[in-house]
Amino acid sequence: MLSTLARASAKPSSPLTQSLRPSFVRTAVPKSTRIAAFHATQRQQILPPLPQTIEGTANDPTPVPTPEPVHGSYHWSFERIVSAGLIPLTIAPFAAGSLNPVTDSILCALLVIHSHIGFESCIVDYFPVKRIPLARKVAMWALRIGTLTLGVALYSFETNDVGITEAVTRIWHA
Amino acid sequence: MAATRTLARLATRRTAVRPALFTRGLASVADTHARDPISKIAEKTVPDAARKPIPESKTSTVKEPEPSKDAKIKTFHIYRWNPDEPSSKPKMQSYTLDLNKTGPMMLDALIRIKNEVDPTLTFRRSCREGICGSCAMNIDGVNTLACLCRIPTETAKESRIYPLPHMYVVKDLVPDMTLFYKQYRSVKPYLQRDTPAPDGREFRQSKEERKKLDGLYECILCACCSTSCPSYWWNQEEYLGPAVLLQSYRWIADSRDEKKPERLDALNNSMSVYRCHTILNCSRTCPKGLNPALAIAEIKKSMAFT
Repeated sequence: MLSTLARASAKPSSPLTQSLRPSFVRTAVPKSTRIAAFHATQRQQILPPLPQTIEGTANDPTPVPTPEPVHGSYHWSFERIVSAGLIPLTIAPFAAGSLNPVTDSILCALLVIHSHIGFESCIVDYFPVKRIPLARKVAMWALRIGTLTLGVALYSFETNDVGITEAVTRIWHA
Repeated sequence: MAATRTLARLATRRTAVRPALFTRGLASVADTHARDPISKIAEKTVPDAARKPIPESKTSTVKEPEPSKDAKIKTFHIYRWNPDEPSSKPKMQSYTLDLNKTGPMMLDALIRIKNEVDPTLTFRRSCREGICGSCAMNIDGVNTLACLCRIPTETAKESRIYPLPHMYVVKDLVPDMTLFYKQYRSVKPYLQRDTPAPDGREFRQSKEERKKLDGLYECILCACCSTSCPSYWWNQEEYLGPAVLLQSYRWIADSRDEKKPERLDALNNSMSVYRCHTILNCSRTCPKGLNPALAIAEIKKSMAFT
């Protein structure tokens, strides 16, 4: 919006006409842009592409990162186990029809971990460290705080209230 | 005997077992409305002036040089940008061609435009038979090789040709592939061995070991798959992309290669492989019919718990 204003005001006009023009006549910003600026549908580029930069010469390989299995293969295997484990844990209490605090607590713990990993993956995808390091840090800390809150909330719900399996059953039958 | 074999093959084919609802066909040029994203509606109401090239409605149309009677005139909208005029925006230039005088493939149309209509049109091409991978471009919304893409014969539909998406454009339809080739170089795409062959002659493979490389060695590095991958669009600098990972797996799967642990270690971090979220655009768009997503899944499997 600022750029369109600047472009519109930077029209080739002599200083004389500028000074002669009555001050209450505004620069000719097209009506459409004036309206569009206040619209929620005004689309802006969130992360516009930067000019291309190439590290080293064209014949060098891109740098190979140091192996970090904790963020790589271990993380992936763990995530898969958690995801696969959630399926029977979600179905079992309702299929078996019995309320077991152990399965309930395991389900809660896995839910917290699963959602944390999922959101973390989104943050890694959409907040590149090199481009917006501060936003990445803020997002990661927000996620950690959110996960902790969720964990505490689920814990208190399990210990002080009926627990999620029973809650879902009640909502289902309500 | 032959009939039973055919029947058995039909029964074990995946398409026979899987219901049609869950299948996702190959990306096709003909069915354009299937891919219309929801954001198109937003683009219609509020056009994004900053990013979009000047549309073809605001540029001139270059006509077929000598249209004959009963000519099948088809319109091609082609993305143009000239680095010699860096201040001017990219634009969509329209060309009309008589399909009776043009070859069957998109590349034939491009070559005809360059030869007879507009010599300033720039694109890469070499083998014109889908083996060099030079003419990769985005045709009617699908990343494909222009030489393997037939021109849809209905003349009412207009074809749109763009360079590969999310790449830096050198000129017109030529994208800058420097980063892609640098990434390819980083996976060390060559045989790494320390021990000599047992008989001192050549490194032998069994038929089964050779069979593992089928569907991998055919990749021509046209970058159609990588540039169709949203993960690669967002994280080009760190994520390697389907094409390079397929090549990496080609050497991981090779029985003659002795550096498999080192190769896996080079990929074992959060960015190189694990930005693949099995979107499967790569397998969908590959003009050679390969399956890069399967190769990435195999890499993930061989790295699991190690």
